[in-house]
Amino acid sequence: MAENPVIQVNQLSSGYENEVILEDVSLEIYANEVVAILGTSGCGKTTLLKNLIGLLPPFEGSVSLFGQNLTQLDEDEYYQLMRKTGVLFQHGALLNSISIYDNVAIPLEQHTKIPPFLADQLIYLKLQMVGLQKYANFLPSQISGGMRKRAALARSIILDPHILFADEPGAGLDPVTANNLDNLLLSLKQKLSMSMVIVTHEVASIKRIADRIVYLDNGNVLFTGSLQQAMQSDIKQIHNFFESAS
Amino acid sequence: MQIETIYLPASLTVMHSRELLSKAESIIKLREKPAQINLDFSDVTVMDSAGALSVHHIQHQCAAKNIDCRLHNLSTEIEHSLKLFKIGDADSFEAPHKLGFFERLGHLSYEVYISIKDAIILMANISYFTFTAFFKPKLRRRGEVINQGVQIGVNALPIIALIAFLIGFILALQSAAQLRQFGANIYVADLVAIAMFSEMGPLITAIMVAGRTSSAIAAEVATMTVSEEIDALKVMGIDAIPYVIIPKLYAITISLPILATFANVVGIIGGMVIGVTYLDLEVLPFFNEVISVIRYKEIFIYLLKSVVFAFLITFTGAFHGFRVKGGAEGVGRSTTSAVVLAIFLVIVADSIIGLLFYFEG
Ligand SMILES: Nc1ncnc2c1ncn2[C@@H]1O[C@H](COP(=O)(O)OP(=O)(O)O)[C@@H](O)[C@H]1O
Ligand SMILES: [Mg+2]
Repeated sequence: MAENPVIQVNQLSSGYENEVILEDVSLEIYANEVVAILGTSGCGKTTLLKNLIGLLPPFEGSVSLFGQNLTQLDEDEYYQLMRKTGVLFQHGALLNSISIYDNVAIPLEQHTKIPPFLADQLIYLKLQMVGLQKYANFLPSQISGGMRKRAALARSIILDPHILFADEPGAGLDPVTANNLDNLLLSLKQKLSMSMVIVTHEVASIKRIADRIVYLDNGNVLFTGSLQQAMQSDIKQIHNFFESAS
Repeated sequence: MQIETIYLPASLTVMHSRELLSKAESIIKLREKPAQINLDFSDVTVMDSAGALSVHHIQHQCAAKNIDCRLHNLSTEIEHSLKLFKIGDADSFEAPHKLGFFERLGHLSYEVYISIKDAIILMANISYFTFTAFFKPKLRRRGEVINQGVQIGVNALPIIALIAFLIGFILALQSAAQLRQFGANIYVADLVAIAMFSEMGPLITAIMVAGRTSSAIAAEVATMTVSEEIDALKVMGIDAIPYVIIPKLYAITISLPILATFANVVGIIGGMVIGVTYLDLEVLPFFNEVISVIRYKEIFIYLLKSVVFAFLITFTGAFHGFRVKGGAEGVGRSTTSAVVLAIFLVIVADSIIGLLFYFEG
């Protein structure tokens, strides 16, 4: 592809304290594409995601978002960058002590100075997009798991991010709700023209939404390519991965 | 006819919407308002959802003021975004509105009413099960009274000993100089004994236990409530009050008088240290004086107080535990509220009992 990648990962190795989890990972993600990061549980998907959003520093190599190297940013520049990204955490990460409305309002209050009525409308619009406009005043504990995920999604897209990261969006949801969530992600991607990086290990979900697949195995990128290519791949692990789901 | 044209900036995003809105506002609010406003999009390259909503808002305002609002030079992309980011029937949306004074007063009164009702029901329940569960041990969790007795009573001994000693010591120290002036050295024993028995002993014990135990009860019950354990007990045919609360009540009721007695003794020893080292008293006369001044009334009062405090401490823990709202963070709130309320109630009850018996002679 000719255009500049939105995310560029160069020979990244990273991990926790003295444990190396990712080794020599390189990948690129372009505007408007949906990339699924796959792999078995514990292979380092969440660790990679944390590196991509700057929550975990690399041991070696570099991660660039929108052409800016994450390790070379000061705090201000980092927050500027985060304004253009949305993150949907594995368990939603809504603040439990405040309402859905207030949760969705957090990024607005942090990053912008828009007048209150416009904030109201914007929050309403985003809650409407995820179908939760009636639940603005509920506490996270008063709605179901799938609704919490959607509320968290509304919060992550409140500033119209250019890229959305989602860590196992369908985990812990029933197939119907997970399916709806995938469709919601796709339609939001269309509306907001975002790139999306989705960590998942659910084959059904991958088939629905992914343009491209990055397969992690033991901290290495074993494969990148389209779903078609992945399904026909004769790499043993990938074959097994898709076999075991069908 | 007057026509105003607003040239929209290149990027119409959440970061720039404020200026645009205030600009439009100032034009719409003019005394001689224009008959038509043109929004010129020729410079606009980026527009996000906040930008689109701002444009809709301006159109809305114009319509309300009978101003003709027209959009010019829209690219298809912008037009598309404007269509996409449009809020539907806004009446189903309840943005949280700030409550007025009377609304808040109403909410508060209702809260207070509900709280008092809950409190009375819980008190009645606890009182009822205090007796029935005594004769029907099956209602209680097995081995729990002793278990709790150890946790509530025995584990609190060191801290209560330390504090009681310090209080007896300080009481004696503060009064020693005055008593010495009058040659009334021996009365330091009376003073420390009376102060410890009828006030300080039971009170500081209760405050320590309130801090340690009502918070523990609230945390346990609240955790059980938010994690649906109370519901689970209910469907297994177990009432949570005799099962969880009553054993704790027994344990506190037994341990509080014992702890208070212990605190009294240690406090008097604290006073004695001053008496012996500073006021040249002998140990034996000091204790004789202590025993001569303590009447049955003092003993009765501090035992009565201990029992009342035990009930209050258990009650506040249970009350805030069962009232928990929300998830894990609600547990923290319950715990804090329980400690504050328990200490408050203990001091109020202490004053009431003190007053009653003061006038009684
Ligand atoms: N905070 C942490 N500290 C130390 N090790 C961790 C931490 N989080 C994850 N790990 C380890 O890193 C490895 C990869 O974890 P993770 O990236 O969460 O896997 P997954 O692919 O399931 O998301 C696992 O072996 C895990 O034990
Ligand atoms: Mg994970």
